[in-house]
Amino acid sequence: MTLFDAYIKKLADYQQELRAKGRQVREIYCPTEVSELTEGLPVRVGSQDSGGIILRGDTFLELGNPEAGSCAFLMWTDKPPLIQDGKITLIGPDIPESPGASLPFGQVLMVGGAGLGEGEHALLEGNQFIADQIEGYMIKSVSQLMWSRVSRDAAGKGFNFETLGRALMAIFKSAVPKIEAMEVIFVTSSKEDLQPLENIDEQVREISHNITREIWQAKGYDIECTLSWDCRSCEYKPVCDEIREVVRVRKKKSKKTKTAADS
Amino acid sequence: MTVKGLERFKQDRDALQFAVQGFEQSQSPERQLTVALVKAILDNYNRIIASAEEGKPFIANSYANAPELLAALNLPWYTLSQIPYLPTSEPYILDEIDEAERAGLGTDMCTLIRLGINNVEAGRVPLPTAFIGLLSLCDGTNMLHQAIAHNKDWHNIPVFCTDAPYLESERSIDFHADELRRMVSFLEEHTGRTLDVDRLREVIEESNKQYELWAEYNELRRAVPCPHSAAKGSQAWSVAQNYMVGDRRGTEWFRQLVDITEQRVSEGKGSIPNEKIRLFWFDIRAIWFPEVTEWLKAEWGVCIVMDMTGYAPYTLIDPSSEESMFKGLAKRNLCDVPMVRQVRGTADTLINDLMMVVKDYKIDCVVWPAHMGHKDGAASVGIMREVCRDLGVPFLQIGLDLFDKRYTSMDEIKDRISKFFTAMGLG
Repeated sequence: MTLFDAYIKKLADYQQELRAKGRQVREIYCPTEVSELTEGLPVRVGSQDSGGIILRGDTFLELGNPEAGSCAFLMWTDKPPLIQDGKITLIGPDIPESPGASLPFGQVLMVGGAGLGEGEHALLEGNQFIADQIEGYMIKSVSQLMWSRVSRDAAGKGFNFETLGRALMAIFKSAVPKIEAMEVIFVTSSKEDLQPLENIDEQVREISHNITREIWQAKGYDIECTLSWDCRSCEYKPVCDEIREVVRVRKKKSKKTKTAADS
Repeated sequence: MTVKGLERFKQDRDALQFAVQGFEQSQSPERQLTVALVKAILDNYNRIIASAEEGKPFIANSYANAPELLAALNLPWYTLSQIPYLPTSEPYILDEIDEAERAGLGTDMCTLIRLGINNVEAGRVPLPTAFIGLLSLCDGTNMLHQAIAHNKDWHNIPVFCTDAPYLESERSIDFHADELRRMVSFLEEHTGRTLDVDRLREVIEESNKQYELWAEYNELRRAVPCPHSAAKGSQAWSVAQNYMVGDRRGTEWFRQLVDITEQRVSEGKGSIPNEKIRLFWFDIRAIWFPEVTEWLKAEWGVCIVMDMTGYAPYTLIDPSSEESMFKGLAKRNLCDVPMVRQVRGTADTLINDLMMVVKDYKIDCVVWPAHMGHKDGAASVGIMREVCRDLGVPFLQIGLDLFDKRYTSMDEIKDRISKFFTAMGLG
């Protein structure tokens, strides 16, 4: 079981809640092979296929402007059956229905693969920011936000969330061959609908940060350290080790006390 | 009325006035933006000089003190660490560094901090009503306020420094928001000004417009070729964080910048005729930048596409309530301002910024100049190198002084860079 599995379940609950509130929910089932995913797409997908910057005047719509609301994250699991491969869920209006709009934007990417582990975490995280890989789609270079634009040209060719979802699946499956299944959720209904997603995102971020810390620790770096040089050559290592041990013992002790109090 | 420390300020003001007249001869739209910025700097000088002469309150600060609050309090301010960057300071820099050394300021301390302390010691800056600082970023800034408090003229100047927590959690942001509230109370007490929440809202709404336009401008810098040199990014920072904070003139400045740049991008015009290497200078700009950037441009076709000062990850603040504004200001002050952002806390921000800039701006190589004062960042060189290795982008660490070009000579810097480009097959 991976650390994200519980949140995959929470996402299912989140979608269910929005259905119950009467939100427009569309489910699209796409092919699963990379070659089939990009077949028939109205835009090109691949490195440097974006066609460059999308200027304000060439913009059909914006997604995830901070005022409208933005939330994006990725989760992975080593249990592919938890993911419905090729499924795109769209909650809210689609791109062609919203010319000139600035829509709130939630994007959740879920990938599964029996071989996926912490070694793939950084690669998967980094792939969310696809830079120049989808023609007519530009993610703005703003950290911690998924704020993007669709060009008029791309919209004119029929670019919609199915296009975006299929392109993302193709990019991820090409970059990380261990991915066996991938599912995408887009939310554009309202800023209010993004709030529960942000709560999940906060917890997912913490897990992600911890995994990243572990990865760097294995390389010999402590990214939480003020000095942050190589621990192996740091004269304070024994002090840090001792503090960590004290923290560990304290946590263990307070857990025991809490259990005793609860019982 | 003679006020101590004003003489040099007045000289600088006159020099700026002269510079404006010179710049105004140029019709280039980019140059007109420079003129607008220099005029704003001039205005700031005039406000401080008038305040000092008329006995009205004005503030001195170190760096990163949520300037939106000062603007909302209608308090003029000057930033000690900004003075060496002014064109009027440049001719004196080396002499002032030597002067600081003679005064006994340690040469292992960041030169920018040394220059700040020395300007106080030499009586080149006017005595403010109060001084505010930030207890973060590097060893030097943590001590700056203590050093100047020992000056016989400054020891009666009230000092307040906000504390900067290590993490970026909700708790940390709340803590720093409270620190900013305490700073406001301190300023109210010592200047007699009162913070009007509606005025703060106006300033913040205007600053949000500026940061949104700046982010738009930075999208345009992703274009190949890059439309401008790194200097425009630094100017953007000066406008939004120093001289036109929450000011409509600043918003107009950014609006024009975006319009001009969109035009350049549409026409495929780059800052240099034949861009060959897109470089990420992972630090603030050097005082002697023009000398090296001109050489980089001519010799290697290098454009510095991004640096720390020009990067614009600024939080847009929710102006709906006083609480949301203070929280937003705390986040902006702690997590967005250059250097404080990258080296204050955990290294994930540094890692993510590197990854994002390299990918989005199609960077060919990363240079960590390793300024002698940036010991905090220097500690993360191993991490930077690993990240760049994973990204497949060459990484160079030099070892220099961003303010003293004698520390590592210009020839040596050029030689190091040339060898790096050649070895990496970039030339």
